[in-house]
Amino acid sequence: MASTEDDRQVRISKIAGRYLVFDIDDVAYIRRQHGICAVFTGTMPQNPTQNVFLGLPLELYAEDAKMLLDRKVAYIADDPLEHLTQLKSMDDATRKSYLQSIKTQRRTAQLVFNEAKAQSMAKHKDKRKPKQPQPPVVVPTELPLPASSADDVTAAVDQEEEGGAESLLESSSSKPVKTDSSTPPQKPLVKEKLPAITPTTSNAMISNGISNPDVENHTALPLYSYLNERGYFITPGLRFGGDFSVYPGDPFRYHAHYMANSYGWDEKIPMLDLVTSGRLGTAVKKSFLMGGQKPATENSEAGELRAFCIEWAGM
Amino acid sequence: MPLDDDLEDNPSLVPPPSTTTTNNATGDAATMMDEVEEAEDAPTADFRLFASTYSKTKNISAQTIRKGEKDFESHGTRAQASALDASRDAMRDVLSYTRVHNTKSASGWCRGWYFPDWWKDWPEDWEQQKSKRGKEGGGRRMRRKRTGNYHRCIQSLGRAVTGLPKDRPARGREWLLPEEALYLVERGSLDLWWPTRGIEEVFPADGSVPTAAATTSAKGEGEQTEEDEEEDEDDEYKYGLPLSLQAAYALLIGEDGERGKVSLQKFQVFSHLKRAGYNVIRAPTNPLPVQDDTQLTTTTQPASKPKSVTEWLISCLPQSKSSPTDPPPYGPLVPPGFYRSYNTIYNYLSLRPSSTSSSASSTADNQPQKPQSPESDGYDSDSNSPYKIHYHIFKASTKFTRTRPPPPDFYISVISAKDTSIPTLSEISSLLASAPADLPKAEWLAGGPARLYARLKHGYRNVLLAVNDHGVINYMRFAQGGFAKEELFRNYDMRVSGGPRRGGGGGGGGGGKKSGNNNEDDRGGLIEVEFELLASRLLQSAVS
Repeated sequence: MASTEDDRQVRISKIAGRYLVFDIDDVAYIRRQHGICAVFTGTMPQNPTQNVFLGLPLELYAEDAKMLLDRKVAYIADDPLEHLTQLKSMDDATRKSYLQSIKTQRRTAQLVFNEAKAQSMAKHKDKRKPKQPQPPVVVPTELPLPASSADDVTAAVDQEEEGGAESLLESSSSKPVKTDSSTPPQKPLVKEKLPAITPTTSNAMISNGISNPDVENHTALPLYSYLNERGYFITPGLRFGGDFSVYPGDPFRYHAHYMANSYGWDEKIPMLDLVTSGRLGTAVKKSFLMGGQKPATENSEAGELRAFCIEWAGM
Repeated sequence: MPLDDDLEDNPSLVPPPSTTTTNNATGDAATMMDEVEEAEDAPTADFRLFASTYSKTKNISAQTIRKGEKDFESHGTRAQASALDASRDAMRDVLSYTRVHNTKSASGWCRGWYFPDWWKDWPEDWEQQKSKRGKEGGGRRMRRKRTGNYHRCIQSLGRAVTGLPKDRPARGREWLLPEEALYLVERGSLDLWWPTRGIEEVFPADGSVPTAAATTSAKGEGEQTEEDEEEDEDDEYKYGLPLSLQAAYALLIGEDGERGKVSLQKFQVFSHLKRAGYNVIRAPTNPLPVQDDTQLTTTTQPASKPKSVTEWLISCLPQSKSSPTDPPPYGPLVPPGFYRSYNTIYNYLSLRPSSTSSSASSTADNQPQKPQSPESDGYDSDSNSPYKIHYHIFKASTKFTRTRPPPPDFYISVISAKDTSIPTLSEISSLLASAPADLPKAEWLAGGPARLYARLKHGYRNVLLAVNDHGVINYMRFAQGGFAKEELFRNYDMRVSGGPRRGGGGGGGGGGKKSGNNNEDDRGGLIEVEFELLASRLLQSAVS
């Protein structure tokens, strides 16, 4: 997808006031090009019983969405509305192309399934093969029987590999030649059902960007984009006691350095908040960062963001 | 989308191996805390590690396993850049997985149909009466095969509505709540479809599966239908379309309280807990009297124990407490005179009732659910408070059936970090009041002063708060500490009896209080002052 990255438009699905990204290419793109990592919130279908690695969708901050919107690399889509209208009154052409894309995916999945199966079977036989020639060495009288079975196995493996290769090339007729292999009774499987598919995105069904709702509640945007423009990555910071936790680079490689809160320019900050946040930040080995933007006046635009760090001094 | 590449690069196309469970389902409060700690790393988790755990067959193995720790900051080296790239590529590979339902696999697969409006006309309490559990209308229909792995993950979800008239379509099917459906779609266990025909056609009333519908509904039974592929497919799509994950989110996630939808925060908490192995059911929107019956029947045997304990507590109360102590309008709170025990003095001093005073909760101990209705009625005025119990949680070790769930292990309220501020006193007390009493363990109650802190920490009612900050979930426990029940002054009387002997002998660890004890009888005035100080502290704690 690198070729299209220049004019890529990230689809941000706005669902019930939250901003989600479903397309993995979009996710990779905003992470690489725009320094937004946000939070994966979905269950991983590959291993759904753990909470350490999570998958799509990605939940963005309103600030993320606004920032991407301002940079003109994204659009906000009202997903529930679009899906409902599309599903309720789908014209034949869309329906056909949608079904077609699903069918293609199902075929592909079928191919990969078959290939994986063939590979694993071949592997199993490979494992078994080296063991069997051993008995002849120890007990020579039993030589004929194992030898012949070993031959069978190698033959089967050969066929297996052929089958696997073929199933890679051809779409419909899977597992053509191994009905005669002795060990596990293979099902004939001439006409098998394609596996069903749940695609991750609805890209095949909905067109791009009909609606373009706005982003609300991005009060922390100035500080947010200030940090983002300087290459910092930002994730939710509640667990460290702030609004954001700020990383000096991609969180894959670095620990957070700051926990940040955004304030209004003239907002009064209770001393107690400073103390608690400062102490908390120090306790989690981060420094507490706060920032605010000077509001626009009559003769000057909004600008000049000031940010400060507080660290607990061990006197 | 280059699906070929995606699937071929993907090491984990094979359906999820049942053995790889990192957080196995042995949940209790401790593991919950562990999880929270574990989650500290979540956004920064190294997907390369994840990929490598899946690369049983493919080549993302040795060289992509995490090498060393994270760096402090960027130093612009190529090694650093390539490590980052490897991480990102691994992430991309892992996440470009497409959910595949193997129609032939032994564990079966299930297809769900989206019929959000089917229960619209049914009053909610009808459903509650039917099931003794709250459920909102928007369900979906699915048919499923209960075997193997699926059975384990699914048996705690969904429900069949029984007792329907015979001519109603789709009798005996499972209906799922939106969060349940979405969770199943997300973990790749449910194939969700959008029906293009009415429910009467997809699931005819008479239960027989007509020829055309056979392809759709009999699918759930896997191998039973062996039909020609192409024809079958065309037939299949006559009744509906498969939906994507994105569509499922779009259709099932909504604003809070929207019928047939679930808010994203709640869904995230729900699936977080499900992934961790807990059984989660929705809390009833308004508890019904029917529920009390079941609660009572289940708690009859254990009730005997707390009862004896409360009796013990009550028996320990000083007699003077029961007599109303209206303080005189003026003059000292403790009238001058001789006092042989501290109890009387403290009882004069206790002016404000506490929410956990022994008399108030002695009824609550016996019947956990009963005080709920009057108390929560009092607070129902602020029904838009976000602090409500949303889910009942059961440890995996608890024997769990959906039709007759045991008393929950935890009560959880889901809070959005962005939109909610710290609870007010009335919010937190109505939240706590809506949870049944959860007494400390009997041995703690009987343990006297030695178990004081265990009792205080556990509290008498508790609710978990799940604070969801854009997908990052923090769990907190709010408990009603029974400070008023821990009357420390009773210990002083015990010391009085043993005081003179000890005071005469060692005199080491005594301190001011003890010497005061010794001379109590002669100098009542002095003691009074000292105790006023103490009492004010006690009052503070009782109020808070």
